[in-house]
Amino acid sequence: MTVTISSVFLFSPQSGQAEAAELWDAITEKQLIDWEGEWLPELFKALQRLRRAGVERKHWPQSRHWDWRRKTDALQGILANPGFSVVCGGVTQGMMLVDTTTKRCRLDSQKGKNLVYVSFVESAPWNRKELLFDPLRYRGVGTILFRAAIELSRQEGNRSHPRPG
Amino acid sequence: MAASKKTMTLNLTEAEMNVLESLCAKKELSKTAVLRQALRLYQIVENRLEGGERLFFEDEKKKEKSEVMML
Repeated sequence: MTVTISSVFLFSPQSGQAEAAELWDAITEKQLIDWEGEWLPELFKALQRLRRAGVERKHWPQSRHWDWRRKTDALQGILANPGFSVVCGGVTQGMMLVDTTTKRCRLDSQKGKNLVYVSFVESAPWNRKELLFDPLRYRGVGTILFRAAIELSRQEGNRSHPRPG
Repeated sequence: MAASKKTMTLNLTEAEMNVLESLCAKKELSKTAVLRQALRLYQIVENRLEGGERLFFEDEKKKEKSEVMML
């Protein structure tokens, strides 16, 4: 698997500075090991904090169920579902899977036209204020991933591009 | 971010080219984009059929379902 890595920047609220980061056009074993070894322990601690803070379960993040290894394995080699990730400080900070093929525009003005659909996008737990992390480690991960989806959509020649729903 | 690409020459009949051009016009996409979409879709269908699934078209109004036979 050939991975193209682009230079990007994330904002560190702790230092108040931008930090050099990488946008990968893939989700590799490195990302999955980071997810298992770094994200999940922090996510479980965060869920405990939410529970202790009295946050109702329906407000807990939907992504707590997501199994990135299973998702990635299921889509391995499928051209229609490329993955992207952001790495900063040697650790994966966000991942995204898109669908370039099976979704169509539904607005009347664009009905039936192709689009890039963001199937799954998640930032590392320590970058999410809804998980009661304060201060956050990095900001801007989701923006970079959505920007990558938009750029892919442009390269595909689509007329309409992904936007957060 | 652009992955490296390889170029190939494609020979199509006039009928095939007409279909391709018609799809390009309908989808407002280039020929390359339409063919790449077709390849992705073909791969999805093949993978799912190999996995034992079947491909159907369903007409919700008529409540009709017909299997696309891929031989």
